[in-house]
Amino acid sequence: MARVLQHEEEERVIEDPGERVHVWPHLVSIELVGALIYLLALSLMAILIRAPLVDLANPEVTPNPAKAPWYFLGLQELLLHMHPALAGVIVPGAVLILLAAIPYIDRSRVGTGIWFSTPKGLPITKFSAVYTAVWVIGLVLLDEFLPAGEGAHGISPLLELYGFPPAVGDIFVPLVFMTFIPWSLAVIVKRRWNANTREIIIALYTFFLASFVVLTVIGTAFRGHSMQLVWPWEIGTPEGVMGHY
Amino acid sequence: MGLWQKLTNNRFFKSIYREGYPDTDRKRVMVVINSLALHLHPVRVPKKALRVSYTWGLGGLSVWMFVILTITGVFLMFYYIPSVKDAWWSIININTSVYFGSFMRNMHRWAAHAMVILVLLHMTRVFYTGSYKPPREFNWVLGVVLLTVTFLLSFTGYLLPWDQLAYWAITVGAQMGGSTPIIGKQINVALLGGHQIGQPTLIRWYTLHVIFLPLIMIVLVSMHFWRVRKDGNISTPVYAAPPEEEEVQELPAARADAQEEAEAAAPEGGDEEPEPES
Ligand code: HEM
Repeated sequence: MARVLQHEEEERVIEDPGERVHVWPHLVSIELVGALIYLLALSLMAILIRAPLVDLANPEVTPNPAKAPWYFLGLQELLLHMHPALAGVIVPGAVLILLAAIPYIDRSRVGTGIWFSTPKGLPITKFSAVYTAVWVIGLVLLDEFLPAGEGAHGISPLLELYGFPPAVGDIFVPLVFMTFIPWSLAVIVKRRWNANTREIIIALYTFFLASFVVLTVIGTAFRGHSMQLVWPWEIGTPEGVMGHY
Repeated sequence: MGLWQKLTNNRFFKSIYREGYPDTDRKRVMVVINSLALHLHPVRVPKKALRVSYTWGLGGLSVWMFVILTITGVFLMFYYIPSVKDAWWSIININTSVYFGSFMRNMHRWAAHAMVILVLLHMTRVFYTGSYKPPREFNWVLGVVLLTVTFLLSFTGYLLPWDQLAYWAITVGAQMGGSTPIIGKQINVALLGGHQIGQPTLIRWYTLHVIFLPLIMIVLVSMHFWRVRKDGNISTPVYAAPPEEEEVQELPAARADAQEEAEAAAPEGGDEEPEPES
């Protein structure tokens, strides 16, 4: 049964929870099946695939490349393109704070409980993902291949070649891109779809998610010796990391 | 009398499960109310919230990974030695001479990766279904903290085998932390327990990994589940009300819940008619 509610902030909405059923057996059975499937799948993996263990730690031998676990490789990828304080601390910190702030920016209850909330939600998500991926991949390639004189490559070295202090290429330019891409995305989505707050937040979350995924994939599968761009099949095992026991 | 009856029709079984198998509506209510684990749930849930394609069960599976990690982790603690000299050899020992050692270590590793992925997917599900909207704002914030704790748990565990992968991942991580503006040096020392990676680093990260972070995780997950209940259980669709419609006050969901349980517990009340004992 649908009911009309008066929210504290005077927002009038209709809640539609619909028919209710008993947790036992309807939910408990789903949970049991899910838990068993995951237990079985993990057991199979544990039998078939060994967790890696390589040589004893050796401070004398630096592996090349030295990589963090996969979920930090997006950040490690950023590290190649900007000042370490930005990539390692400020960006992840800002991401967590902005994520936590989402519900305090998008405060309307309308659209709760519906995938993508509005008919525009899914098209906006797809557009934002492609828009972000094109920018991120483009910038990574640019920073890798842009000639900067004397065999050097990258945006920052080029700027230094023209006499700019390192801070311009390492801090200022990355900050400009990291604000311009989501800002331009929000403007486009607002113009093209006449988007409301929720739909703009969808675009921005998708920007975060797509950046995370693209950077993580690049860092994991496309960075080889000396963290240079390679194809996934060219990566091999890093130098200085031997033996899988 | 069948085997099932023999097993269940005695004082001991009934002292645990007061109502027997939940085959009537009243017993279905009681089994949820009386069980500590099941009591995390409400007695009844909207059919809409049950669809697998709505939540994909991702939050539940995240906590299931945590349970598996706790069990396999305790097993590994029996054999793992948190000393720079012995850590790596103790892993070799687990892999080669401990019964089920290799299995338990592999399981611990794959469940850890699975948990990171599941928590990220859960957050993404909650986001795209708009389930962070009022009144669930704070539970979303708790979620962001849970995400951080999940990363930290996984990363502190990565150091423990004390192999080349571990050592250099920590090197990269500590350098990142050390680049913090102003307090970088202090953070670096705090992370390493000194000025270089060594025994103090290992014991520090081991302690965080096996006791401090799991405790934090348990407290936060409890708060998270509590809030799911108090915020009116899993979200269901909310639409804009057409302006001309009449306003109806609704019971806050938590009170509706409590009322339902009270009705079920008092045999005379409500729509949960008790069945006569057979
Ligand atoms: C250790 C990590 C976590 C665990 C074990 C966990 C567990 C759960 C469970 C079991 C539910 C019930 C519904 C469902 O399964 O989808 C839930 C709901 C919820 N979670 Fe999490 N969660 C975790 C992390 C997060 C994160 C990272 C976020 C967001 C940043 C989050 C935000 C929420 C919100 C807002 C709800 C209510 C959703 C609704 O009403 O539809 N949780 N969580």
